Amino acid sequence: MKQAGLSIEELRDAVMRLPDDSLAATRAAALANLDENGLPTLKHEDWKYTDLSAAIAISNRWLSQGAQTASIDALGESIAAITASIDANWLLIANGIIDTSLFGASSGIEIERFSDSAAPFVMDKPLADLNAALLNDGLRIQIHAATEKPLAILVIDGANAGPAVSQANVEIDVAPGCDAEIIEYQSSEGSGEHYGNSVVALNVGQGAVARYLRIQNRRIGHVQTGRLSIAMGADAKLNMASYDLGGGLIRNDLDIDLGEPGADAVFNGLYLAGDGQHIDNHTRVDHRVGPATSSQEYRGILNGRCRCVWNGKAVVHKGADGTDANQANHNLLLSKNAEIDAKPELEIYADDVKCSHGTTVGQLDDTALFYLRTRGLDERQATQVLTRAFAADLVGRAPVATARETVAALVEARLTDLIQEDAL
Amino acid sequence: MLEINNLKSRIGDTEILRGLSLTVNSGEVHAIMGPNGSGKSTLAQVIAGHSDYVVTGGDVTYKGNNLLDLEPEERAREGIFLGFQYPVEIPGVNNAYLLKAAVNAKRKHQGLGEVDAFEFLKLAREKMAMLGMDPKFLNRGVNEGFSGGEKKRNEILQMAMLEPSLSILDETDSGLDIDALKAVAQGVNTLRDPDRSIVLVTHYQRLLDYIEPDYVHVLSDGRIIRSGDKTLALELEEKGYDWVREAATA
Repeated sequence: MKQAGLSIEELRDAVMRLPDDSLAATRAAALANLDENGLPTLKHEDWKYTDLSAAIAISNRWLSQGAQTASIDALGESIAAITASIDANWLLIANGIIDTSLFGASSGIEIERFSDSAAPFVMDKPLADLNAALLNDGLRIQIHAATEKPLAILVIDGANAGPAVSQANVEIDVAPGCDAEIIEYQSSEGSGEHYGNSVVALNVGQGAVARYLRIQNRRIGHVQTGRLSIAMGADAKLNMASYDLGGGLIRNDLDIDLGEPGADAVFNGLYLAGDGQHIDNHTRVDHRVGPATSSQEYRGILNGRCRCVWNGKAVVHKGADGTDANQANHNLLLSKNAEIDAKPELEIYADDVKCSHGTTVGQLDDTALFYLRTRGLDERQATQVLTRAFAADLVGRAPVATARETVAALVEARLTDLIQEDAL
Repeated sequence: MLEINNLKSRIGDTEILRGLSLTVNSGEVHAIMGPNGSGKSTLAQVIAGHSDYVVTGGDVTYKGNNLLDLEPEERAREGIFLGFQYPVEIPGVNNAYLLKAAVNAKRKHQGLGEVDAFEFLKLAREKMAMLGMDPKFLNRGVNEGFSGGEKKRNEILQMAMLEPSLSILDETDSGLDIDALKAVAQGVNTLRDPDRSIVLVTHYQRLLDYIEPDYVHVLSDGRIIRSGDKTLALELEEKGYDWVREAATA
């Protein structure tokens, strides 16, 4: 399938209109990269299930209408509600513009903008080049010491007046030995079409612990692509969970690099999809040395006409003996029109390795449904109970304790909508 | 209470019940015995409303109404309880939550408000104590990781909380050690009441030492071939099922 490409000339104009600051050189390089490679198409192995045409179409319409940054006026209420829902120290990126007004100075955290220095940032991965080319500014965060409240980054976008596109870019460094709680919250609203593209790089220092909670609750219909790249130091620990609740076309790339011995990465995900949604989670773990462990469990609940993708790749490089890698993906399909593409991928080039993977796709257990009905629950209630039970386990694994109630409430709200859908 | 008349039922292409008739009056305890494959569990599932079992003939009346018209949950709310031979494990659904949802579903049907949370817990703990169950089972997933005996006690706990008019206990005695058997029997006996009926489906006579039935029926090839009082169970224990079958065909 031939994909219509980005309007590169209009993109160049939009890039030229951005401030002539220390990011300019990287933007230009990223633009050249994009011009040469374009965006990934269905022909790329990693993109065969997810067609970016919608993202490109929105981008082109936005570019042709002058590539304006949408006003954030309409977002005030949502920002207030979200930041009140979790007790955290909040940083905002609203319509691609950084806003630190809610952030309380903290001795454990240092913040600067990419434009404050000439330090390079990621621009050579698919979609990271688009992000770098159009980036207004990025956030560079250093966490030196455990803080009283988790650090939370709200990426929120609004699209009321015509098509809108926004970029968010954040680098987070967790200092050696430090225990950090980090929340990435992605949200959007407005009846216009929107495409948000984010890049997050997380470095977990030697012996450090990162608890990373990712919530994606964009408006149904909006498009989001996001890349989260995590590099882990020796004996570093990652405890991550990711909740995809909203959005139209959603593509998450999670890359975890285990380049030092003793690292332990646990990352889980829950995706809930209904009519018109396409949620794609691609994870990749590179075990470069051993011993190190990685473990992931993603669960999906699909209803109505929707499609989800889980592609979990573990690469155990030559010499990475003592690697222990586990992957699991379980899906509950509540409608005949829901589709899941589940693909575990193991590439193993070392000898002393323990790897396992398991994937299940199924409907609710008839025996359990009947059992509940013989206890007086009607079919709908029984379905809801069993569906919630399937999600509950992953909700319990939300790594930032103070946010767990909010996660539970968001999942509950989305599930309630989802189970109401006609297909049931 | 329950009137089954010439009931025929199949699962897939296999006919299992071939004209079964049985009358259970209020306050009575009936034991249905029979060899494996005779249709005992099918009878229990048909009464509870399992859709895999297709009724091809006959009728079932419960409290004067056509039972077969009702959905499984309606039967439950009307006071029918099936104690499963193999209680289902439901990880992620809290045992207390299910008990409460079940009690409330029935109360709602009766036009009553939801049960008071405090009273509910108190009552559940009392029943658990009677059944020799650790209260921590309330907060576990339904039957999740329970031993065979714990699952059966949990069924009786649900029965005790729901106070059904008609209880069908399908092989509740199987897989129980003697202590569990006594606890389960005590749970059932405390529910004996002139307004309630109990049907015990069992393979062995052992359970009937602890729950004394008013009537014993022998089921074979989908029909009741002999009925009697509790002495029939003892006779069966001694002579085996072949004896009744031969007597029935003679």
